[in-house]
Amino acid sequence: MSQTVPKAPLVRTDVQVDGLAVVVISGTWKLHDALPDITVKGDRVKVLAEGLEDFDSSLPAWIYGNFKNIRQLDLSQLPPRLQALVNLAEKSTHPEKSGEHESLLEQFGTWGVESSSSWSRALDHIGQTAWGFLRLVIGRARINWSDFSLQLQTTGVDALPIVALLGFLTGLIMAYVGLIQLRSVGATVYVANLVSLAMSREMGALMTGVIACGRTSTAYASQFGSMNVNQETDALRVLGINPVEYLGVPRILAVTLMVPLLAVFAAFIGVFGGMVVACAGDLSVSQYLTQAVRAITFKSFMVGFIKAIAFGFIAGWSGCYRGSVAKRSALGVGEAATSAAVLGITLIVIADAIFAVIFNLFNF
Amino acid sequence: MTSPAAILSCSDLSIGHGHRVIMAGISFALAPGKILAIVGPSGCGKSTLLRALSGLDDPQGGNTSLLGIDLNVASNLERESILRRTGFLFQGSALFSSLTLLENVEMPLKEFSQAPRREIRQIAEYKLSLVGLADAMDKLPSEISGGMAKRAGIARAIAMDPEVIFLDEPSAGLDPLTSGRLDDLILKLRDTFKTTIVLVSHEIPSILRTADFCVYLDPDTGRMGAYQPPRGFLLPNAHPKAHAFFARAQLPT
Repeated sequence: MSQTVPKAPLVRTDVQVDGLAVVVISGTWKLHDALPDITVKGDRVKVLAEGLEDFDSSLPAWIYGNFKNIRQLDLSQLPPRLQALVNLAEKSTHPEKSGEHESLLEQFGTWGVESSSSWSRALDHIGQTAWGFLRLVIGRARINWSDFSLQLQTTGVDALPIVALLGFLTGLIMAYVGLIQLRSVGATVYVANLVSLAMSREMGALMTGVIACGRTSTAYASQFGSMNVNQETDALRVLGINPVEYLGVPRILAVTLMVPLLAVFAAFIGVFGGMVVACAGDLSVSQYLTQAVRAITFKSFMVGFIKAIAFGFIAGWSGCYRGSVAKRSALGVGEAATSAAVLGITLIVIADAIFAVIFNLFNF
Repeated sequence: MTSPAAILSCSDLSIGHGHRVIMAGISFALAPGKILAIVGPSGCGKSTLLRALSGLDDPQGGNTSLLGIDLNVASNLERESILRRTGFLFQGSALFSSLTLLENVEMPLKEFSQAPRREIRQIAEYKLSLVGLADAMDKLPSEISGGMAKRAGIARAIAMDPEVIFLDEPSAGLDPLTSGRLDDLILKLRDTFKTTIVLVSHEIPSILRTADFCVYLDPDTGRMGAYQPPRGFLLPNAHPKAHAFFARAQLPT
C-alpha cells in the first residue's frame, strides 16, 4: 500500500537498564514543519531510524542541536547520508561555549577598562587635533583645502534657513514668556531688553551650537565612520598622512568659523522674532528697536561671539572624534553619528555653564 | 528511461554591463544534482554570468531557464520564488554587519519559513557548524576574518536548503585545509540533498575534485570557449587556452 500523505516527524525514547537512551526517529522531517521536543537524561544516546521517510537539513540540525553535548552518541544505525551530515557538523565543534553571561563584577571591570580606553582615545584625538592646528599655524600642516571650502558652504550657508527659523521662534517664545511677567509690573517695554540681551549673549550661540551638533557633527561622524569601513583612513595613514590633520582640521576649522557668524545671524533674527510679538501687543516698532539697541552692549555681543567659537569647535571635534573611533560596520557608523550629536550637545551645555561662571567671576 | 530535465540551462546567452557585451554565445544545460564550475581569466565576466544565471541581473540577450522557469518571461512573483529556492554567496560575503553570524543565517529562515523560533535557531547553528563556525556564532561580521566571513556567507546561502546554490569564489582567501573542508561540504550537499551547485573559482585542484562540468570563458574571442567535464581540459586535444589555464595550475611551483 503506497503512502501519499507524508507522516509527521516522530520521536520515541526508551531508556534501557544500563542507562543507554535509545531515540527512535520516524516520519518525514521538513524545514517548514514543527519538530518534536526531546529531553534525554544521561550521557549515552543511540539514535535509530524506523520508518524514516524523507528529510531535509532540519533532521541533522535537530540531531546536532539536541545531542551535541552527549558524551557517547551512537549514530551507526542511521542511514549513511544522515550520519555523514551530522558528522560533518560535529567535526567543527569545539568544547568551549561562547555567549556565557558575565558576572556583575566582570561587567563592572569591563566597563571600567572600556571607559578608561575611551577617555584615552578622546585625549589622544584632542592632542592630534591640537597638533594639527599648531602645524596649521606654523604653515606645516598637510590639509585637504578643497574640503575646507565645501565644508564652509555646507556648515555655514546651507544652515542659514534652519538657523533663521529656530532663531526667529526662540526670540518669539522669549518675548511671549517675558511679556507675561513684565506686563504684571507694567514694564512691557523691557521685553526688548530681555530678548536682545538673551539672544546676543546666550541663546544665539547655544541654539546655533545645538543645530551644528545635529547637522554637522553627525555628518562628520558618518563621513569618518564610512571612511573607516572602507579603510580610507588607513590608506591615508600608510601614505604618512595623519587623517585627523588632513580631514579633521579643515572640517573643525570650517565649523568653528561658521558657527559664530551663524550665531550673530540667529541673534538678529531672534530680536526680530521678539519684535513681532512685542509690537503685536503693547509696543511700537521704534520703541522696541530703541530699547533693543540700548541693551546689546559690545560686551554682551562679545560674550555670545566667544561662546559661539567654542561651541563650533566642540561640534566639529565631537563629530570627527566619534567618526574616527567608529566600529567598522553599518551599525558602527550609525552609532557614531548618534553619539557625536549626544557628545556635542552635552559638551556645549557643560561649556556654557563654565563660561557663565567665568564671565560672572570677571564681571563680564 | 528518460534523462532528467535540466535544472539550469541557457542558450546563446550574452552578458555585459550597460550596453557593452563582454561575453556571448554561452550555451549549456545542467542536470539536477550536478556541480558546474565557471572558469576563465580575471575580468572575463564570470561573476556577471553567475548573476545572470541566478536571475539577479538581466542578460544582454539569449535565454536562461532556471528551475523550469524561463527567466526572460518570468513574472516578478516567479522570480521571487526562484530566488527563495536558490542560495547565493557573494564575492564579498555581503553579511549584514549589524547582525551576528547566527542572526545572519537565521534571517532567511525567519522571513521565509514558518518554523518555530527554537527550530530556526537549531538549523542556523547546524548550518554554521557545517562550515566550521560553531564557536563564532555570536560574533559580528566586523569581528571575524575574511575567510570566516566567506564561510558564514555559505552558511546563509544554504540556510533554506536551496535546490540550486550559486557560489562566487567560495574558496578565495581560505587556507588550504578550510578550502578542502569546503570542497567536502560542497560534495556532501550535492550527494545528500541533490543540490545543484554553480560556482565561480580560480582553484583548479578544487574544481577538478568537485565539478562535474566546467564552462570556460575565453575573453580573447568574447565567447564561451568550452563546456565539458573539467578533467577533459587536461587532455592535449582540449580547447587550447582552457588547456593552458588548467595545465598552468597543475604545474609545480
